[in-house]
Amino acid sequence: MSNRCSIRMIGFVAVFALLFATHASAAPGKIVIGHPACLSGKYAKAGEQAIGGIKACVDWVNKVYGGVTVGGKKLPLEYKYYDCESKKEAVTSLISRLITVDKVDCIFAPYSSGLTLRGAPVAESHKMLYMDHGGANNKIFRQGFQYIVQTIGPASRYHEGTLDMIHKVDPHAKRVALAYEDSEFAKMVMAGAEEHAKKLGFKIVFKRTYPKGVTDLTPLLSALKAAKPDIVIGGGHFEDGQLFNRQMADLDINANALSLIAAATLPAFYKALTGMAEGVMGPSHWEYGVKYAPEEAKKVGLPWIGPSQDEFVNLFKKALGKDIIPDYHAAEAGAAVLALVMGIEKAGSVDSDKVRRALGDLEFMSFYGGWDVDDTGLQVGHSMVDVQWQGGKRVIVWPAEAQTGKLYYPMPTFAEKAKGKLAVPK
Amino acid sequence: MRADPTKYYPLIPVYVAYLAMFLIGSNMTGMWQLMAMLAFYCALGQAFNIFLGMTGYVDFGYVAFLGVGTYGMALGITKLAHVEELGIGIIIIGLALAVVMATLLSLAVGAVALRLRGAYFAIATIGVNEGFRYFIEGAKIWNGSEGMIFTAELNQIFGRETASALSTFWADVLVLIIAAAAAFVTLYYMKSKIGYALTALREDEDAAKVMGIHVTKYKIIAFITSAVFAGLLGASAWALKTPYVFPPEVFEIHYTVEAIIIVLLGGAGTLLGPLVGGLIYGLSKYYLSIVLPGFQLLIFAPIIILIIVFFPEGIVGMLKNRVKGTALEQYVL
Repeated sequence: MSNRCSIRMIGFVAVFALLFATHASAAPGKIVIGHPACLSGKYAKAGEQAIGGIKACVDWVNKVYGGVTVGGKKLPLEYKYYDCESKKEAVTSLISRLITVDKVDCIFAPYSSGLTLRGAPVAESHKMLYMDHGGANNKIFRQGFQYIVQTIGPASRYHEGTLDMIHKVDPHAKRVALAYEDSEFAKMVMAGAEEHAKKLGFKIVFKRTYPKGVTDLTPLLSALKAAKPDIVIGGGHFEDGQLFNRQMADLDINANALSLIAAATLPAFYKALTGMAEGVMGPSHWEYGVKYAPEEAKKVGLPWIGPSQDEFVNLFKKALGKDIIPDYHAAEAGAAVLALVMGIEKAGSVDSDKVRRALGDLEFMSFYGGWDVDDTGLQVGHSMVDVQWQGGKRVIVWPAEAQTGKLYYPMPTFAEKAKGKLAVPK
Repeated sequence: MRADPTKYYPLIPVYVAYLAMFLIGSNMTGMWQLMAMLAFYCALGQAFNIFLGMTGYVDFGYVAFLGVGTYGMALGITKLAHVEELGIGIIIIGLALAVVMATLLSLAVGAVALRLRGAYFAIATIGVNEGFRYFIEGAKIWNGSEGMIFTAELNQIFGRETASALSTFWADVLVLIIAAAAAFVTLYYMKSKIGYALTALREDEDAAKVMGIHVTKYKIIAFITSAVFAGLLGASAWALKTPYVFPPEVFEIHYTVEAIIIVLLGGAGTLLGPLVGGLIYGLSKYYLSIVLPGFQLLIFAPIIILIIVFFPEGIVGMLKNRVKGTALEQYVL
């Protein structure tokens, strides 16, 4: 074998050895969160927000809270993440690496129900606590996983607050129309809304789905108009939500309330529709401006942990090095960090079994709102907030402990809106 | 006449690599899931290469076969979970369903699209995965857009521990077996009349026709074979490893693009190429995502472009030229 060949062979072996070297970094004296984050790929935007939220809360725990108390000692939190590219193949391999090589104490799931489900069997096989901050599908929690704990509110509860609010302000409104995108997420939301509406005594007068990428909702909305609903609940994504609102205006379909998921809470929604969006509502897990605070927690008898909303926003901006306002993806990921901290302190250990049991008994409030899970790990303590467009501003109108303004009800008619009427309460 | 054993020599490096992957994965801490990912990419390349590499046709709808394979396994498990006597037989039924469904879809697509050539064929297949996905969602078959989640059914059939081992270990072993089987079939085709016919039509389809080769028949053979392996891959790497199926995820065109990159990177039409391409593709992405999370694609994309520019025949294509006339020649195909 020539020298050149020998050198190449040695080089190859060296690179190979480097690639497969396992540098176990067991971390005594600190608690490590591992995260196959979605930094690139289709969930990159949500992934970046989640990383910012986690970093912000880790920073708060270490610098303000003084670390996590375990066995009388204050241990710092450390956050280790890799980029899963929003792809399922990478999720499993990175979770495995985080658990076995990096020796993390807890895994934070990637974003979306699909990727959360992909990682769950690997986390379960290692008996590792698996914090779900971006997988809203209720079915995840019917599969028998034992180590998964949810912070994001389940899809089935998205419109509970909207319906509770209208039931309270207008007990005579009974006719509900449901018109959703034909997608796994929207259908789960619709099923939850339908169930809750029936529980409150509403009557479902219209229920239909439309395909993804729809460009004309006129036939569906014409049928919806004939049903004469008091409340219209619908949507799926930004594009169809916008179309929904615009074509309701075109067909002059007036209802007392219109709530659209995923679209109505975005600033781009009002920018695109301007006056047509006045009074339109949308549910959100969290919005900048919510009023959750230690005083609110005290009122409802829950312990408080974590930064105030403004502290969180500042820490978030510092963590990402960008002057952007965090959205709910950041807040729910940050709240999952706070839940972990409380769970570890309650368990007095970082052992996943003990922390999982402690999280099952835990109830608290943070800047994100309430937090409580049932036996399956499903989030039951967090209420969605309802946002309404009032005079071009997003106002949080529900729940009472988070609201920044009163609900404008009934929504102005589209003819009134065309004349410039704003949905601003007097 | 006795079979010439030397014709199977090219399988030696392929099988040695798969065995090494299995041994590294099962013996080194934290390596199994990485090996599982690499095995998936290698198997994807091996399966795709049977059609792309041997015919020169680019099927942009390839992921649809993985998708229907996933549905095959999902349907087998969800519909038969209540039949307790089936036990492990349910997995075999799921695999059989995956094969049948992938075969039927490939027959339907192939019968129409394989009458077209080059860019026309590529264009015709682009819509297959999207069309099939919208068909499932629109016609609301197999749970429509809601998809299926069936971890609970697997737990019910096998018990929690076994179901967990199935998802985190045995599904990956199955992927390695599929990759090895696809490599064997590739070599078998290469060394048989089918391979010669496919090579002839790849080089000049009209000339092959004039020579009396039934080009459509051989293209369909390669197409169905490639689709069947894709179906099996979907059933094991997706349905068994991740017990759920959502239409947008299993018909994502991104996987077809990955298959094309892997095959071109390693060397289209070579036996060793998809393995080399799969390993380079998977390892680069994995380690770049660890070292430079968020920036890996910025580095990875130029690397791929450079490899394809400097080695237009792929890495194994280049290697084949280098070892020509040496003892290694019989192992590199």
